[in-house]
Amino acid sequence: MRRGEKNMASLCGKTFLSLGRTNVSGLAFSKTTNRVTYATALSVNSPSGNKGFPERGGRGSVGRRPRREPGEPRTEKMPPDQDWTSVYPAATPFRSNAVPLPVRMGYPVKGGVPPEKKGNLELIKIPNFMHLTPAAIKKHCEALKPFCTEWPSALDTDAKCDEHFPIKIESTDYVSAGPSVRNPSARVVHLKVKLSHLNLDDHARKKMLKLVGERYCKDSDILTITTDSCPLRKQNYEYAMYLLTVLYHESWKIEAWEAEKTAADMEEYSWEDSPSQKNILDTLLRMKVAGEGEGEDAEVRKQLLERGEVQDYKDSVVRLKNEGASETTVLQYKEAVRKVLNV
Amino acid sequence: MARCCCCCCCCRRFLHEPDTLFQKVVVLVKAHDRAVLDSYEFFATMAAKELGIAMGKVFEPPKDIERLTLLKSVHIYKKHRVQYEMRTHYRCIELLHITGSTAQVYLEYIQRNLPEGVAMEVTKTSMEKIPDHILEPMWKDHPIDDKSSK
Repeated sequence: MRRGEKNMASLCGKTFLSLGRTNVSGLAFSKTTNRVTYATALSVNSPSGNKGFPERGGRGSVGRRPRREPGEPRTEKMPPDQDWTSVYPAATPFRSNAVPLPVRMGYPVKGGVPPEKKGNLELIKIPNFMHLTPAAIKKHCEALKPFCTEWPSALDTDAKCDEHFPIKIESTDYVSAGPSVRNPSARVVHLKVKLSHLNLDDHARKKMLKLVGERYCKDSDILTITTDSCPLRKQNYEYAMYLLTVLYHESWKIEAWEAEKTAADMEEYSWEDSPSQKNILDTLLRMKVAGEGEGEDAEVRKQLLERGEVQDYKDSVVRLKNEGASETTVLQYKEAVRKVLNV
Repeated sequence: MARCCCCCCCCRRFLHEPDTLFQKVVVLVKAHDRAVLDSYEFFATMAAKELGIAMGKVFEPPKDIERLTLLKSVHIYKKHRVQYEMRTHYRCIELLHITGSTAQVYLEYIQRNLPEGVAMEVTKTSMEKIPDHILEPMWKDHPIDDKSSK
């Protein structure tokens, strides 16, 4: 009898003795004729008892330990109210005979369903959370509770936290798998503090802003010092605190050359003693002189300054110079000029 | 796989130094699989609730896809290429108002149960008082004598 006919005559897996491979259940019959691999001299009917499956290889089988039956899976013996935390106490790969769920995973066969859990590699590959069921999490947290401390109840809002603890230190830690545990970005430290919480007077604040430059955000009044020049986080933190200390003390110091500050160095536009004030006073004086003809320049100037329209003009010019030219500021300037010149 | 966290100092002396206060601890987890992150988020949020930690937002930043196009063949055949992509999914968990000890306990618990192939970044914002040497300028007690030396 030819081997192909022998195989075609029977459907049971046990009789595929002549084939070297065992996983042929479900294959099309035409394929078996090409699979002429290892020929054995054994009979078609396998001996009952030990060898439930056909041998592999066939030749070097002398002295091989007889293979045991696997027995029924553990899921059959599991009661519904068992302690699952003892079945999966730690992170282990998926075991199909230890999980009593009818799970299927994988790409479905055409017109079929995803493969079952027995021998399914996809279920073994993906990380599972069998050891972290809610019961297990509760148990772990009960054991961890004694090591936790409570947040002080007096600091419940962010505002109170800022008031008592104004300096914020930010740093990042990285956890990943790789050849090395270290991450060089972990040494970066950001120090954030609001300048309103520091003890600075007017001159000190302006000097601090000049010293610090781009590190200050005007909208939120937060000074951010970022240090990454040292190799360790502790060193960077201490360097940031040192920088803050130095900035603070230097900004209080008044140097001799600071007296040479010109109008171009000023941070904000101030109207007093500016060309704009002189111009408006001259214009108004000339209007007045043309109209009435008075003397006593200084007194007249003071009176003019105190007039409401001149104050409005001053406000609009200051706003225009400080905030820049936008629709509202230009309109305000236009109105003020109209009022002052009675146009 | 070497996967220990590089942050926690094991020798914290509970009795001697005061506990640090963290205004915010942001945990960002990255993985190639969204389902794994879903389960991990459930685990982390439940652990935080059990330990009594106040949670801020828990949200999912949009994923990143890095694509590369390579030649399909070893030699010549420039017109036939093959494209690969690497997807990174994110999940962000914010914890508010947490003390140093609690943070250490929670983060160590979270990190020991981090699944395979998942990376984590922890950004801690700690609050501190203004140190004593910044309360008052030193020039009041130590006036500058020689300005040219500074």
